[in-house]
Parts: sequence; structure tokens; C-alpha cells
Amino acid sequence: MRTWMLMYRKELLEMARNYKWIWIPCVFVLLGVMQPLTSHLMPQIIDAAGGLPEGAVIEIPPPVPSVVLLETLNNFGLIGVLVIVLSSMSIVSGERNSGVAGMVLVRPVRFLSYITAKWAGAMTLVTCSLLLGSLSAWYYTELLIGDLSLLDTLYGSLLYLLWFAVILALVVFFSATLKGAGPAAFLSLALVLALSLLTGMLPAWMTWSPARLTAHAASLLTEGQLLDLFWLNILVGVTMIVVLLVSAAALFRNRPLVD
Amino acid sequence: MSLVEIKDLNKTYGSKQAVHRLSFGIREGSCVALLGPNGAGKTTTLQMLAGLLAPTSGSIRFNGLPAQADLRRYIGYLPQQGAYYNWMSGSEFMHYSGQLAGLSKKEAVQRTNDLLDRVGLQEARKRKIGGYSGGMKQRLGLAQALIHQPKLVILDEPVSALDPVGRREVLELLKEIRKEATILFSTHVLHDAEAVSDDVLMIRDGELVLSGTLRDIRNAHRQPVIYIEEDVPQALQTWAIEWERLAHVTELSYQDGIVKLVVEQPDEVKQQLLQQIAQHRIPIRRFELAQTTLEDLFLKVVSS
Repeated sequence: MRTWMLMYRKELLEMARNYKWIWIPCVFVLLGVMQPLTSHLMPQIIDAAGGLPEGAVIEIPPPVPSVVLLETLNNFGLIGVLVIVLSSMSIVSGERNSGVAGMVLVRPVRFLSYITAKWAGAMTLVTCSLLLGSLSAWYYTELLIGDLSLLDTLYGSLLYLLWFAVILALVVFFSATLKGAGPAAFLSLALVLALSLLTGMLPAWMTWSPARLTAHAASLLTEGQLLDLFWLNILVGVTMIVVLLVSAAALFRNRPLVD
Repeated sequence: MSLVEIKDLNKTYGSKQAVHRLSFGIREGSCVALLGPNGAGKTTTLQMLAGLLAPTSGSIRFNGLPAQADLRRYIGYLPQQGAYYNWMSGSEFMHYSGQLAGLSKKEAVQRTNDLLDRVGLQEARKRKIGGYSGGMKQRLGLAQALIHQPKLVILDEPVSALDPVGRREVLELLKEIRKEATILFSTHVLHDAEAVSDDVLMIRDGELVLSGTLRDIRNAHRQPVIYIEEDVPQALQTWAIEWERLAHVTELSYQDGIVKLVVEQPDEVKQQLLQQIAQHRIPIRRFELAQTTLEDLFLKVVSS
């Protein structure tokens, strides 16, 4: 546990030294501010873009606070995921290729600790970024559009956070088993995309899919309640994380560190 | 008293046998050089000893430790290409390594101070490792391998990538270190092995071909040798053929204007040669009596 904390703290420090602690939260805050702001300013934006043709009568419905937040979360799910995957794609392979992983693993350190400390470090950054992004979205929605429950905002964000944790475990797994950062990022993104698309297209077959966590968030925000099988999705998500990290450590161990 | 016993160590990659039935012991307090040409299996052997690579079969036993013990605690290791977190400073990396090895924060700080002083990095300790030169990185590598006072220090090609100055520095450090720890280092440069080690292990194609103390090997394989260098090009060409037929000459080579004779009775052969040279006024620049070096033996062992 002591060495785990050491490695975890080292991850946090490394992310501070290469400015990840600045730019990734910035991306999420920006995404969080953008949606309420554009929704609020939509009439002016249309005017500035040349306005509507003379005589056209289009009623722009006033934006609904919970929908604005949902759209923000959707942006997190697209652009945010891209940022998370790309910024952590060489999380293990980078250290392995440079050889520094060998310097660490000749110490009496468990491979599983090494892998999980990396995942936990990245997860800490993602959690803070996501919460900052959601809070700024909540603040600007409250300010510009209308009342929004802070509690619902947090619940919705936490569901997305679990989905992000699954994605991050996927990235760590591929980064530990593949040589290059590119293939790891590509495979992670492809799998996440496939899982999301299939879950959307074949809802009857994919009731177990952890990608449904985002749908739970949507339902919670718009309808005020979760969909069916909520706990199954949570369980599958958590199981996936555990299985991915444990097998990443096992596979990492069985490959020579220096080729 | 041997510190480590290696028995029947094997490592295969697919169909390639990288290390084949390697057995040897390392005496406590000795400095052992693992010699061999590139691709002989030196790195593979050291990685298995350091616990980075699982052997296909065979055992590595530390004296006084159970077979299942995590040996990494007792080993300090410097890989061939030492790699560091370039964003850390020298002392940060040392603290991190020390604490991972089980030292308390306080001990790690103390050992860091001590070691960085000894390897001459005290001035640079607060600078980022990314800005270190190759020699500085290698010295940092040595320091981090020693931070937890390991019983066995394993160094993979510690001087090969360095310029002559860095090489001398690191060899001097090795002489220092060997006073307090057992060292096993690999090299393909024989001269380095001669400079610091007591024992040598020569391997070729993953097999041990020669091992023993440096002195024993040198004595057992030492042969008198005579060098004659010509003063005029090709002057010795015909004579070389003649000399090869002399009694007590076991081996003769003529290369770059130098005749090298490996002989059994140096005095007798010397007399004969000098007589001929004087009699026929053979133009020579140098006549030297010497002993075959370890390098000759190494080349012979490695290429045979």
C-alpha cells in the first residue's frame, strides 16, 4: 500500500509537471460553459449570422435547463472522451518503451500496483476535470437559463464518471499490452464507439452494456428517474474495470520489458 | 562463500535458445565480469537475475534466502539503456527509487545525499534529469542501483555507451563500489573487465565457455609470444613462411607488417630469430617478447 501511494503520488506529480492538470480541466470547463452560453445567445447568434429571411416566423423555444446540462454531458461524452483517451494513450507503453518501467519494476513492486496506480492517477484528474466542467455548466445554466438542481447535476456527472472509468481502464489495458500509443488509442476509441453505437441501435440486446450509463443520466435529468437495469449496468461497468486492470497487469508481466 | 547460485538457467524465445544451461556461482564480495560478444545472451541473463524476466527453466538462489523470496529487494540493477523520468530532478528520482525499494523517506534522503556526493552529482541534484549528459545519467544510474544497499549490484554494459572520460569515471566508481557490494557487470570490452574484476565469465551463444578468476585464467592460458615488426614493406613476408617451420613455434600470423609468433621455448626461438635477422640483415623496426593477453584468449574463445 505504501508503494502504491508512492506511485500514485508520482502520477499526480507527473501530470502536474507536464501541465495536464491545467489543460484538461480547462477543456472540460470550456465545454461546460459553451453549451449554456450558446443556448442563451442563440437569437443573437442567428441575427449576427444574417438573421432570418423577411417574413419568416420561427419560434425558438426557450432552452430548458436540464436539457442544456444534458447536452453538456453529451459533449463531455464525445470531446471529453477524445481528450481523455488521447492524453493517456501512452500511459503505460510510454514508460515501457523508454525503459523507465524496467527501472521501477526491478524494485519490489507489484505489477498490479503499478497498473492500478496509473489508472487511479489518471482517474483523479478526470474526476476533477469532469466535476469542474459540470459545476461550471450548472453555474452558467443557473445564471443564464433557469433553475437547475445541483444534486441532479452531480448525479448525472457521476454516472458519466463511471463510464469514463471504464474507458480509462480500456486505455490502460491496451497501453499495457500493445507497443505503440497510436494502436492503443485507436482500439480504445473504436471499442468505445462500437459499444455506444450498438447500445443505441440494439437496445434489447445490449441491456447489460455500461454505455447505458449515459442513457441513465439522460433519463434522470429529463424524466427525473433512472431506466431499468441500472444496477446491472453499474455491476458490469465495475467488473469490466477490475477485469481489464487485472489482466493488463498479468499480460504486462509476461512480456519481456526490454526487447 | 557464494552469494548467488545459478543452476541450469535456460531461456528460449520461440525456437531461439537465448541462454542455454547456464550454471555459475558468484562469490560474496567479488566483482564479476560477464563477457561475451554482442548477442551472446548477456542482457537476457542479467534480466533474469534481476527478476525482470522469468527464466524458461533453472533456478537462481540467494544464499540464506528461501526459493520463493522476492529477490528484487536484494538486487540493484542498472539496465543497458538507463531510462529515467526526465521531468524529475536527480534527487527526486533517487528519493522515489529509494522509497520504492523500501527505505523510509528519511533514509532515502540521507542515502541520496551520500550517493550523489560520491558519484559527483551533488551540484546537479536539483536539475531536471532531461538536461543531464550521458555520463551524468550513467552515474545517476549507478547511484540509484545502490540506494537500498543491495547485496548484489547488476550492471548491464555500464561503460559501453560512454566517451573515454565518462568510461574512466564509471570504472573508478566501480572500484569504489566493490568495497561494499558484490558486483556483476556485463561488457564486450575486455579491457574494462581486466581493469576492475576478479572473476570473469565468458559466454557465447548463451553458453558458458570459460569461467574463473582473472589470475587463474591468465596463468592457465598465458603463452609467450614474439612480435617482429618490419621496417620495409613486405620485408618479412617470405621469412614468415620460413619461421613457421621453426621448432617450438605453435602459431604464426603475418598481418599489417607484424609477425606474431606464439612459441613454447621463448629463449631458444629468440636466439634463432635474432641470429637470422643479424645474418641476413633483415630490416626490422621492433622485436618484442611478450605474453598473450586476455584479449587474445577472448578472441579465440569467442570466434572458435
